[in-house]
Amino acid sequence: MKAITRRSTRIVAGLLAGCAILVAFAGPTIASHVHVSVATVDEVAIGETVAIPVALRGTDGSPLAGTVVTFYLHMAFAGVEGEAEIGRVVTDDSGVASLTYRPRLAGHHELRIEYLAAGAAEVETTSAVIEVTGGAQLYRSPAGVDVPGVGVELLMVVLATVWTILFWVVLRIVAIARAGGEAGEVGLEARR
Amino acid sequence: MAALNDWQERLEETALEPVRRTGRRFWAVVVTLVAIIGWGVYAYIVQLRDGLVVTGMRDRISWGLYIATFVFFIGISHAGTLISAILRVSNARWRTPVTRMAEFVTVVALICGASFVIIDLGRPDRLLNVFIYGRWQSPIIWDVLAITTYLTASVTYLFVPMIPDLALFRDRLADRSSRWRGWLYRTLAIGWHDRPAQRRSLGSAIGVLMILIIPIAVSVHTVVSWIFAMTMRVPWDSALFGAFFVAGAIFSGIAILIIVMAILRRAYHLEEYVTEKHFVYLGYLMAAFAAIMIYANISELLVHGYKLREGVEFHFRQLFLNEFAPLFWFYLLGGLIAPIVIALVPATRNVGGMVAAAVLVTLAMWIERYFIVVTGLRVPLMPYEPASYAPTWVEWSLLAAGLAAFALLITVFTKLFPIIAVWEVAEDHEATVANAGAAIPTVAIPAVDGPRLAEEGGR
Amino acid sequence: MFHDHPSDQRASADRTPGDSAAATPQASGSGFGRRGFLRVLGLGALSVVPLPLVSELIRGESGDAEAEPVHGQGAAARTRDGRIRQWTMIIDLRACDGCQSTGQPPRCTAACIEGHFAPEPMEWMQVFEADLAGGGTQFIPTPCQQCQNPPCVNVCPVAATFSTPEGTVLIDQERCIGCRICMAACPYDRRFFNWGNAPVPPEAFLADYSPEHQVPAKKGTVMKCDFCPDMARTGTLPYCVQGCPQNAIWYGDLEEDIATNGREIQSASRLLSESSAYRLKEDLGTEPRVHYIPGHGEAAGRDAFEPGRLPTEWPWMERAEGAVTWRR
Repeated sequence: MKAITRRSTRIVAGLLAGCAILVAFAGPTIASHVHVSVATVDEVAIGETVAIPVALRGTDGSPLAGTVVTFYLHMAFAGVEGEAEIGRVVTDDSGVASLTYRPRLAGHHELRIEYLAAGAAEVETTSAVIEVTGGAQLYRSPAGVDVPGVGVELLMVVLATVWTILFWVVLRIVAIARAGGEAGEVGLEARR
Repeated sequence: MAALNDWQERLEETALEPVRRTGRRFWAVVVTLVAIIGWGVYAYIVQLRDGLVVTGMRDRISWGLYIATFVFFIGISHAGTLISAILRVSNARWRTPVTRMAEFVTVVALICGASFVIIDLGRPDRLLNVFIYGRWQSPIIWDVLAITTYLTASVTYLFVPMIPDLALFRDRLADRSSRWRGWLYRTLAIGWHDRPAQRRSLGSAIGVLMILIIPIAVSVHTVVSWIFAMTMRVPWDSALFGAFFVAGAIFSGIAILIIVMAILRRAYHLEEYVTEKHFVYLGYLMAAFAAIMIYANISELLVHGYKLREGVEFHFRQLFLNEFAPLFWFYLLGGLIAPIVIALVPATRNVGGMVAAAVLVTLAMWIERYFIVVTGLRVPLMPYEPASYAPTWVEWSLLAAGLAAFALLITVFTKLFPIIAVWEVAEDHEATVANAGAAIPTVAIPAVDGPRLAEEGGR
Repeated sequence: MFHDHPSDQRASADRTPGDSAAATPQASGSGFGRRGFLRVLGLGALSVVPLPLVSELIRGESGDAEAEPVHGQGAAARTRDGRIRQWTMIIDLRACDGCQSTGQPPRCTAACIEGHFAPEPMEWMQVFEADLAGGGTQFIPTPCQQCQNPPCVNVCPVAATFSTPEGTVLIDQERCIGCRICMAACPYDRRFFNWGNAPVPPEAFLADYSPEHQVPAKKGTVMKCDFCPDMARTGTLPYCVQGCPQNAIWYGDLEEDIATNGREIQSASRLLSESSAYRLKEDLGTEPRVHYIPGHGEAAGRDAFEPGRLPTEWPWMERAEGAVTWRR
């Protein structure tokens, strides 16, 4: 019993604490064996799509497959601001998750990218920057079929034809009036 | 020759009589009708002042008696087309005493029908918007176009064959009638003196009109049906509506014509010209169209009823079993089956029987328009309790006023214009007599492509 | 147009002097040359050049993104980069319990009625209660569905109801003639008629009527939900969206692909796709802009077999002059 002196207890405690601290600091480093790289994204215009590839590798350089990578974008609308998810991709066998992104607003955007590698304790973050230039209207109403010629034009043709014929009949009536107009009393006498 | 001249004289006297003499009964009828119309005007003033809330229509059942009556009147207007045009095209000789009355009915029915659409508007003060801002794609604009075209064509078709008879009036009434009437006939007869050139013009005008007016009339009621069929209401969303409505229009047109004929025949002593044969033939036509209507109804109801898509079951219950069952079964039995039976049974195959059948059909067809409109709107679109509709005194008053206006206009017409197509009836009679090989020496009638007045042959 | 027939020579007065003779003699009856026919055809065609066509040619197509607003509505709402917004609404039925938990009539309807002075008994945003398979019920708040193939716009004879560049459907009560064919055509029961004298709230005496701000209402015309365009343009959410205590209604823009319910913000396309959103009466082909996420108020703690909601009220009507009301 006397062999376990106070001094030795202190040394052991200090060593244990030191190890704990070491582990605490080194923990993430030890656990974070993921190396992430995001390729620079080209400038893209509204209406185009762009690929945002995120490559995940372990510290040993092997690609991390099957990891879910989530992409977020900060948005503001009608007085409400916040982050919204814009995509979720799983890394393939070569450790790359590529989001096919169709930007919806021009300007400078910073995407936040999150991933949780297998065996990791926490979610890790990185970011990507996209420059989006303005473009034409994207959304088109889906309804309507345009068959040329079949429509208002047809209605007009039919109407014009009918009213032309009616006009012609009116002219016949005018003809009757004229044919009798200059005759004076001739017709009346013939009847008596 | 003498007999033919006598017959001719009698015909002309009969045609002239209503214009020459006006009895007390006429004024009594006119006063009554004007009183009813006056009450209708008061009801409309109430509606203008307070809005359509004075009717029974509401958001769920937003069309009612007014639109039903509008469709009914436009339907009746097909009387003239059928009798005048189709029978003229097929050269059915028996039509001649009836054509004038049929054409009257058409014009008057169109005027009354158009009035009911205007009565139904929430903002009649903005009626001109229809012409200023009209959209070609709207069924209502198609309706305006079709009815305007049909009204123009019908007025023309009424006027043109009437020219020779107006000339007759001008000549025979010159001494007896007042100055304004003389002026009226002189103007409207547009110098008709039975010249060959005039006859040719008249013949070609009538020939073109009688063919043109058939597709116009078909298009009118088709377009009226499309006001309903272009919506997605369950009972209305049917490709059959156009044909269905046109058949119904001709059907109700024949019925109204029989009734008008019977009344005018009695009032103006036309028994010699409008005989029982005419009523029976029209009754046969009516029965034929009743059969067509039965076929159309079976087609419509069976095709929907077999599958019972959403909304159809509710509609069938309200139509066959519940709220509208009395109206529907009366329409089917009294309006469609009864005319066929009456036409087939020899005992009822007479003037009285045909008039009774016509009354049943007229009533049944108004009821049919009514329940088409109301049941169509009554099928619930979302989860809510089905609404109900009952016309108020304002709507009934305006219906009465509309019918009174219809009757009044026809009555007034008969006092101003020849109610029988004198020259056509005479021509038909001549041909009949000539064919029968009568001993009366008549000039052989050469084939001419225009109309002829009997005077030419009889002298 | 008329010329002599040989048989007419007996009376010289039959000739009609002064008329230009037709090119060739015609067969009996018409006396009418090709020239004359073309003249008549021209006149006939003239009868068809309609006032509506002329004014439309001048106006340009309605609904065109670049067209001037013709009905008195404001300029189209646009994104920050100048594209025209395409309003949409996404109603999360998981969160809608018909306001059973608030003990009041549905707040979305109440907010809309108060904000727009909707006359009684109009419920532009109406909460229907539908039966579910199995016997329970769900609440379906139903605004105007703002269809992209709108039956009401298709049938209107005077273009009083029209589609805007933002995809919404508005009504111009200054042009409406009150024929009510649009009410027959709407398959969602979302159009309301001013059957009687329209009540005027005291606040609205000085209001300028516009299709985007339907106050004061006009007798004999049609009204409905308008997606609050005057508010949305300035970045304010519609009354119903603001009024919902569960934040069940999302308002969004399909052009920017964004939506908010007042608390959160999401990508509209992702919200729709990931929640199996559907539209009412999809088979009719009206292409509505209102989507529904299936549910029965479970997120608000509602039991599907708890039926009933409180009836809607119109408190502002007590302050209005000349208020006439009717049942629906």
